[in-house]
Amino acid sequence: MSKEVLTNLKTKFGDRVEIYEHNDRRAYVTVSNEDWIEVLRYMYEVEKGRLTTATGSDRPTGVELLYHFAIDTDRIVVNIRTTLKKPFPKIESLTQHYYAADFIEREIFDFLGVEFEGHPDPRKILSSHDRPADFHPMRRDE
Amino acid sequence: MSTIIPIGPFHPVLEEPEYIQLYVNGETVESADIDLGRIHRGMELLAQEKTYDQDVFLIERICGICSASHSWAGSLAMEDIVGVKPPDRARYLRTIVHELERLHSHMLWVGLGGHILGYWTVFMWGWKYREPILDALEMITGNRQHYAWYKAGGVRRDVADEIWPEVLKIIDEFAGHVDMLTGAILDDPVIQGRLKGVGILTKEDAIHYGTLGPTARGSGFDIDVRRDEDYGAYDEVDWNVIVQPDGDCLAVAVVRLLEMKESCKIIKQCIDKLPGGPIATEIREFPRGEGVGHVEAPRGESFHYIRSNGTNMPERHKMRAPTFTNIPSFRPRVKGESISDAVLIFAIIDPCYSCTERMAVLDPSGKPFMTGKDLIKLSHEKTEKLRRES
Repeated sequence: MSKEVLTNLKTKFGDRVEIYEHNDRRAYVTVSNEDWIEVLRYMYEVEKGRLTTATGSDRPTGVELLYHFAIDTDRIVVNIRTTLKKPFPKIESLTQHYYAADFIEREIFDFLGVEFEGHPDPRKILSSHDRPADFHPMRRDE
Repeated sequence: MSTIIPIGPFHPVLEEPEYIQLYVNGETVESADIDLGRIHRGMELLAQEKTYDQDVFLIERICGICSASHSWAGSLAMEDIVGVKPPDRARYLRTIVHELERLHSHMLWVGLGGHILGYWTVFMWGWKYREPILDALEMITGNRQHYAWYKAGGVRRDVADEIWPEVLKIIDEFAGHVDMLTGAILDDPVIQGRLKGVGILTKEDAIHYGTLGPTARGSGFDIDVRRDEDYGAYDEVDWNVIVQPDGDCLAVAVVRLLEMKESCKIIKQCIDKLPGGPIATEIREFPRGEGVGHVEAPRGESFHYIRSNGTNMPERHKMRAPTFTNIPSFRPRVKGESISDAVLIFAIIDPCYSCTERMAVLDPSGKPFMTGKDLIKLSHEKTEKLRRES
């Protein structure tokens, strides 16, 4: 591992995290749904990672979440990935621990229909108010 | 009983929509509710239907002010997928245009700040001094805005060496104007009275709310992607990250004013050290993979993530402008402040003031009794009152 944060992640979580280093400034970490919130909290609270944003995308395997954490002092962006099962993707929310995730998770809920459990304000954010509640524009179900 | 003040319904800053409801009791703001989405353009979906080369033109149009930032961040993400680095000349040229963009964006903000406060001279000076910077951008890229100049691998057009003396002259004159404006603004007791101690955002809140750029640095949260990421020519020139600890409106204004001087320093050094050679690395195809690119736009970090499936079009292109993460910090800033300061605080977190023209105050039955003009007038009256008292 070229960076301290990746070594720490491996030491702390062992086989529960799968780390792929794209280069010395970008890394992708895959975790299970169960370990998701623990790893995210570790990234923010211990490693002092800054949640830049998160990408949600509908893939053949399910709805993929990718949270991008910038570790500014280490000049690296660590991307934490998990895949949720369709048709009703559901995962614990990071917002209750880290407020920066508020708008980001609302956007993913809005466009992909991911339910974030424990989110203090789970409303849609960008799509129009008269959009049907069960229609999520970036889902590729049909 | 609380009165609701809606600000919106749409707000063309960075072409991003927003709608804010202020809950006020008498003169004091109790809480705020923020809602976005009035002019959502579906660019992320659109980007998946265009080629990588076309995408750069598309993402440039996310924002009219920081178009270089988005096209640079997108290009960096594309370069990250392929694993190429742009040539040295391209790195320097990109840095020069990016910093010129920061100069004109911050100067636009200073002018509009003058407008909100009722300082018409500051407004007119700010916009007058911004104009030569746009001329310099036109000389270098061919356009005042939407430069169509960045691309994955480098830049699209080279620059003739003859223009640099003229650009340097513009920068030197601009630096003088910035000094004059900084002195005039910071020494004015009325401006101090309007900005100092107003709309405080603590460092803890700045971190917890995920603020970026001058908004974060004004609260002592020391982040700057130019220093915290290896891109452009920032590692090879001498400059400082401006951080102010106070977290009030004055601190954010000071960060922006002092940053302009740093940008002038960066541009001059880049022109001085500008290397020769090719302006772009050729990219023949995009392999399967993922790429991340982020740069420090004038308002904060612009972030782009692209996933490639091996074709000439991205499978997913996530783009995030800094205002999206800066907007929520309006909540802790505005709590407990008066309505006349809310206009200003809203302007401090977000450098485009055109939104305030769209403010209206409703009584609880929903009938407007105050327009955007009235709110600006309220702010002007407060400045006048302070002037008379000083």
